[in-house]
Amino acid sequence: MRRMLALALAGLAVLGGSGAAAAESTARQWLERMTEALATRDYDGLFTHAAGNQSETMRIVHRMEDGRSVERLVSLDGNGREIVRTPGEVHLYMPDRRVVLVEPRRDEGSLLKTLPAPGPELDSLYTLELRKGHRLLGREVRVVDVRPRDHYRYGYRLWLDERSAMPLRSEVLDGSGSTVEAIHFTRLAIDEPIDPKDLQPAVDTTGFQWIRAGRRAEARVAGPPSAGWLPRKMPPGFRLVVSRSQPVPGSPIPMQHLIFSDGFASVSVFIEPAAEKGPAPPESASVGSANAFTTQMSGHVVTAVGEVPAETVRDIATSLAPVATGSPPATPPTGPGER
Amino acid sequence: MTDQIREQISALLDGELASGEISLLVRRMERDAELRRAFGHYVLAGESLRAPGALLASPGFAARVGAALDDGPVEVAVAPTADARSPRRWARPLAGVAVAAGAALAAVLLVPAGERSGNRLAGSGMGSVQVNAPILPAGGASPTPAQNQRLAGYLVAHGQYASPIGRRNAWSAALAADPGITRVALETAERP
Repeated sequence: MRRMLALALAGLAVLGGSGAAAAESTARQWLERMTEALATRDYDGLFTHAAGNQSETMRIVHRMEDGRSVERLVSLDGNGREIVRTPGEVHLYMPDRRVVLVEPRRDEGSLLKTLPAPGPELDSLYTLELRKGHRLLGREVRVVDVRPRDHYRYGYRLWLDERSAMPLRSEVLDGSGSTVEAIHFTRLAIDEPIDPKDLQPAVDTTGFQWIRAGRRAEARVAGPPSAGWLPRKMPPGFRLVVSRSQPVPGSPIPMQHLIFSDGFASVSVFIEPAAEKGPAPPESASVGSANAFTTQMSGHVVTAVGEVPAETVRDIATSLAPVATGSPPATPPTGPGER
Repeated sequence: MTDQIREQISALLDGELASGEISLLVRRMERDAELRRAFGHYVLAGESLRAPGALLASPGFAARVGAALDDGPVEVAVAPTADARSPRRWARPLAGVAVAAGAALAAVLLVPAGERSGNRLAGSGMGSVQVNAPILPAGGASPTPAQNQRLAGYLVAHGQYASPIGRRNAWSAALAADPGITRVALETAERP
């Protein structure tokens, strides 16, 4: 809440500037409201998720419990996969694989303050526009266009409910304005009572394999990385915001997870020891608006994943290099008090 | 599937189903894989026909989708109109969506990394998995289930640190990632 207040005040300060700046500030305030609403409101919705040449219907249920969000996202088509975020863990149920992947929840405490949030720095990376939209789901709508100033990030078009700022429709756009991914709600109940049963998985996990990530993971706000991997050159605006390490079964060397953000988009980099059978050529993959790129360097496998163009995850992955602890990073890290 | 369920699905997609009935229908869909597939077909048909300026259904499209509701596996094809600007343009259920009953309406797109040949993607974002196991196969083929699982793990791990809307996009992609989908190239789409 303190962060949101600070962001709102920052936005109001800009309102005193030029007309264009004022318009952008207003759009940014809507983005801030949207971020707050997604994280803190109770809601239950059905939406169509579409990417590439496919479309899928999903349900999302989000509720605040004792100040913490719990959430369930379930595919209603075909594979029946679900993600359930409990107060302590995140579970990915994969009935098609008869597997449940489990990760400790990572957004506790001071780390929350470092997660991507729209702030005044967005102006140098994106142009923001706000306009009135046509009604959706019987609600008055504001449309926020977020256009990148360069090719390192995607644009967004967001249709926000005027009353709650919840996104009723969102599209991710590439540099040519083509839609990469879209989410359209067909139903959205906001701040209505949510039955706790709706937050429970519908999957019968009898006989499933449970795969748990390391519980001894150490996550911290980015500073001089303990593991000594740093970016030599980053795309403009991206900063290291979180660095964490996690044990890898069978390996004395922990996996490192670095998170870079420009305040709106983010990229994760996973660094793991490589197998002994020699280097593999780089490869990339795309799922929705998320792109992944993997390469090997210095005996490690480096994989970058994020909701940014393929070139950006490639550039970030290939910019990393092992360095001696204490060497300055190419991009100043964000401290815990800056957001 | 009964006529009543058909009407409920149609009303749901039109935003005309009562709140209480929505909850019942959604819970039923969560338990009933056949109903989920049928719902997917309805969405495919409805969204394809509504996609503004992007797609036209091929002849017989609606009839075949309708038949699919009763008859099981079906293949349908829709084609881009002349103003469709690029293969990646937003145009839900796109070219030649092979909607075999039992297959999720989801996509995993494989993108070449430079001059791609014999490429592999290795590693994992989640815990007890093999180090340096390939994530994607060589030559741009669909990933195996194990590779797909690893990619979903990355997306879940990444989503924990993304913005709320970034997390929703990443996790939606993790749910949609399904290597069982047959991808059909735009060039093979049937012209209306």
